[in-house]
Amino acid sequence: MTQVAPRRLDTFTLASEPGNERLALARVAGVVKDLGLDGRRLERFKTAVAEATMNAIEHGNGNRQEIPVEVEVTQDGDRIVVAITDQGGRAPAGEENREEPDLARKLDGDQSPRGWGLFLIRNMVDAMEVTTDGQRHTIWLTMRTGGAAHDERM
Amino acid sequence: MTSACEATTRVLPGTAVIELSGEVDGAAATVLTAAYERAVAEGPGISTVVLDFAAVDYINSTGIALIVSVLARARAERRKVVASGLSPHYREIFDITRLSDFIELFPDLDRAVSQLTPPAA
Repeated sequence: MTQVAPRRLDTFTLASEPGNERLALARVAGVVKDLGLDGRRLERFKTAVAEATMNAIEHGNGNRQEIPVEVEVTQDGDRIVVAITDQGGRAPAGEENREEPDLARKLDGDQSPRGWGLFLIRNMVDAMEVTTDGQRHTIWLTMRTGGAAHDERM
Repeated sequence: MTSACEATTRVLPGTAVIELSGEVDGAAATVLTAAYERAVAEGPGISTVVLDFAAVDYINSTGIALIVSVLARARAERRKVVASGLSPHYREIFDITRLSDFIELFPDLDRAVSQLTPPAA
């Protein structure tokens, strides 16, 4: 069986300026809209891309406009992968072990009202992975075009 | 590209309605807080606050945090919060975050208002 190499669909950079996650969202949506994601999963992917880009701008690059966020979209078989890279080095403090948001605790004042970003990302895509080489910090978001078991829980 | 959050408020018997438009994100904090304060300024007679999202095209995680803050404040003031006009996607986000456990969801504002306010005599 022939292996098909991953295909790069788009690559671009954004200034690390609050609000620019909307640019990433719109551009990625335009690139992947005809690749077989149904409307519901496309909306999920858009939310994940926006949240990951916002994290990269704010936490990774510290809202320093001169440091770009890099975005790459590839297709590998039935997987669409969006890689979002900042220069934040190591994963933001606690990224791997951050406390799960608990709405009841937030309403009681035991947790900050914030802290939904990674939670939303994890729940929107089929897979999420974080890598870092000490300088570059990348979040990889994967969505399968044919749907996934992940979707059945909803 | 971006459209700032705007809010209009109106008061019905026992119920205040906040109609939101644009983007509900971190930048919406001032608008949403001020709208809530205007909405409940009628006093303790306002027992329910309706947040209508029909004209909202984007909600992000900081917007969710704002909604959590409004809900926490309303609960502390013994007011109920309901929401209307959410798209299927944001309805799903309200489910995932469990906001829909604490905020009753209505498909549209008309249905929310008709169920929350007494019929005219």
